[in-house]
Amino acid sequence: MAENKKEFNTKVYGIFAIIIVAAALVALTLFAYTSRYTALSPEKTARLYVDTIVQSGDGYNAYKNSLLSYEGKFGDFIRNNYIYPEIYENYKPGDSTKDLKGLNDKELKGEKTLNDDGSLQGKVTERMYGCFLDLVRENNGFDNYDAIFKAYISELKKVRKEIFEDDYFDDEAFFTTFEANLSKYGESLTGCEDEFDKNTGVQTKEAVKGKYQELFGDDYEIKTEAVSAENADIPDIGEYGIDAEIAEAKTVKVNVLVNGELKLEGIEITVVRIGHSWYVANKSCDTSSLYKFYNDEM
Amino acid sequence: MDNEKKKFMKKSEIFTFGIGLFGVALLTGWMPDYTQTFFADFAFKGKGFDSSVISSNISTVFLVAGIIGAVMELITGYLIDNTRTRLGKVKPWIGFGAIPLAIIAMLVFVAPNTNNQTFAIIWMYIVYSLYTTVGCAVERPAECFGALCSPEPSERSSAISIASFMKSVGQSGGMVVVMVVGILMKAFMGQQQFKNAEAQGLDLIISTAICALGFIIFVMIFFINNKERVPFTREKVSLKDAVKVVFTNKNLLMVSLTKLTGFGRGVYGTVSLYIAIYLLGSKDLKLALLLPMGIGTAVGTLLVNFVLKKFSTKQTFIIFCVYGASTLAILYFVATGIGFRSALIVPFLILNFFCGIQHGNTNVTPNIMIADCVDEIEWKTGKRQEGTAYAGYGLFAKVASACTKALGPWLLYTWSGYLVSTDANVAYAPQSDPTLNKFLMIYTIIPAVFVILQGAPILFYDMVGEKKDRIVKELMERRAQAADSESTEEPETAEKNN
Repeated sequence: MAENKKEFNTKVYGIFAIIIVAAALVALTLFAYTSRYTALSPEKTARLYVDTIVQSGDGYNAYKNSLLSYEGKFGDFIRNNYIYPEIYENYKPGDSTKDLKGLNDKELKGEKTLNDDGSLQGKVTERMYGCFLDLVRENNGFDNYDAIFKAYISELKKVRKEIFEDDYFDDEAFFTTFEANLSKYGESLTGCEDEFDKNTGVQTKEAVKGKYQELFGDDYEIKTEAVSAENADIPDIGEYGIDAEIAEAKTVKVNVLVNGELKLEGIEITVVRIGHSWYVANKSCDTSSLYKFYNDEM
Repeated sequence: MDNEKKKFMKKSEIFTFGIGLFGVALLTGWMPDYTQTFFADFAFKGKGFDSSVISSNISTVFLVAGIIGAVMELITGYLIDNTRTRLGKVKPWIGFGAIPLAIIAMLVFVAPNTNNQTFAIIWMYIVYSLYTTVGCAVERPAECFGALCSPEPSERSSAISIASFMKSVGQSGGMVVVMVVGILMKAFMGQQQFKNAEAQGLDLIISTAICALGFIIFVMIFFINNKERVPFTREKVSLKDAVKVVFTNKNLLMVSLTKLTGFGRGVYGTVSLYIAIYLLGSKDLKLALLLPMGIGTAVGTLLVNFVLKKFSTKQTFIIFCVYGASTLAILYFVATGIGFRSALIVPFLILNFFCGIQHGNTNVTPNIMIADCVDEIEWKTGKRQEGTAYAGYGLFAKVASACTKALGPWLLYTWSGYLVSTDANVAYAPQSDPTLNKFLMIYTIIPAVFVILQGAPILFYDMVGEKKDRIVKELMERRAQAADSESTEEPETAEKNN
């Protein structure tokens, strides 16, 4: 008997399903990627740079979108230029550390370093906070990163040696301490709430009122917006010590609004495009005003 | 008796069944943890939302999704048992549900660009509940397929065993995907740009797309190549029948009860971080702890297939329970004997591998037992109810999982006397010796007790031996008769249609 019912063709359906889903996934991924990834847009790159600074005074992490981070992680930039020269004798940026012996040699770890549960590191962090504040104030923010990192690391080595009573020093000592200081500085602006251990309910942190809250109210809101982007002269890339060709440069003007009111107008941020990505040419920018609108001492 | 040894499946079908379950697990294994991470850390980053409100809502999103998932288990099971198409009763759910599931899974990682916190929270509830609903309607039928792939129990057992192994591999597949995606992104974007992209959750978004693509490809390979080899029964299954079968079929109930009586087996997961920190000396060893256990589980999943060739499902289950409890007890005594110092690390990790082997049993044997129970239910009632049987087991598993999630933290943070660090500079406060000993018990002795309890209901399971052979034989005869009578009725039907 002839088959008069049409069989469902699973092969055709299977191929159709794969193509449909693949197309939808590509479209959704591209949409999510372009809307989230800031480096594809000069305005987003510049706005993020300003926003990172004004939200919590964090000029350090803002550099992660700058030319300082073009060739590698920003952390590696600091290691190569500021930390390794302190750890290894006669080290020059770019040298390999593979066969070098320096202050990060495990044999230099004393008893206190080996047995620290975090308490002594806490003392180091506390002592270094004063140094951190002084450097940020003296330099009107983070634009002069060279002076900040050099002075901070030099002081950190001394303080660490005093507290741990050994000569050991490594990159983690810098990152742990500096980032803890940076976080505390941020909280001095934004304030923080009581924190409780989610499992035991034990209070682990007490609420602190920040400078922003004192000046702008408990529910303050800081927003940034890029208002214009104009072609600019291509800056000298040699200053950054990187090997790349800049395709174009723009000056983006960014406004800072506090509680909906214009607080800072037209902060000029120079951004450059290398390949498809935009980077902040930080040496062409003056961000000192972003640390002044809440701080009369600066 | 020749029928018993007859091969119904093509060799490639056994493999593609595994490929299908691998694909499903690749996506469904990836989603819960990474969704939680995405919602908490990336979805609304920089929007200025209250993080405590968002995080408490994320917990509720997953609670609501869990309840929806439990209800959907039964509804899906009921709907499967009333599905009768030329493709079969389970395949249409998998094949046609795969497209919406892949797309909805991706949508979970495409958060709306909104500054409205309420809208963001509502979106999380809707999109994840939708994912759970559609996920259940594909995942459950995929598991049911084992009962339909062959009417011959030993062939079916082999297929389920291999597929379960591939499923367990698939569940960890997402971790490999995110790792490879990270490496490729670093290579293409540079280290810092990758870090910036990672800070926006872009690596998770791309990994989800790859998992979803893998899912659709592997599921479609299964959909094209595999056939349901057990004919479905014509009788309609009512909702009452569905609920009744879950709670009144003794053997099915006993298999499901293993989940409840053994719910505390999983509490070791809660304490593994603290075992790594306090007993082995570094939190980095948490991964090292889980890796040998994971490898042990994979080996155990394959090992079960060989044990099943010598012993019945009942015996296999009990052997593995006794073995599992013994290895956990040995681990406890070795650890207390050596003491909590660096010399403990190597023996602890080796024994961890042996402890992992027992999990292979819980991944495979119950699925084979449920397939046997479906045969028994059909033999008794004339209705074949794979959907309900697997859904019932899944429902018990979900309740057990909720109990584990409640017991684990209670044991760890209350019973053990755990002290939390209140010094911002000290991540983990020192613990007393009795507390450390209780950590070890949560990792070993307590799961061992539950492993034994898990085996208890199986003592009453009797779908084995002569009874099972008789039922399978009679079912085959019935199906042959039904096929004969259908072929004689067909010309009449054809005439009527004409």
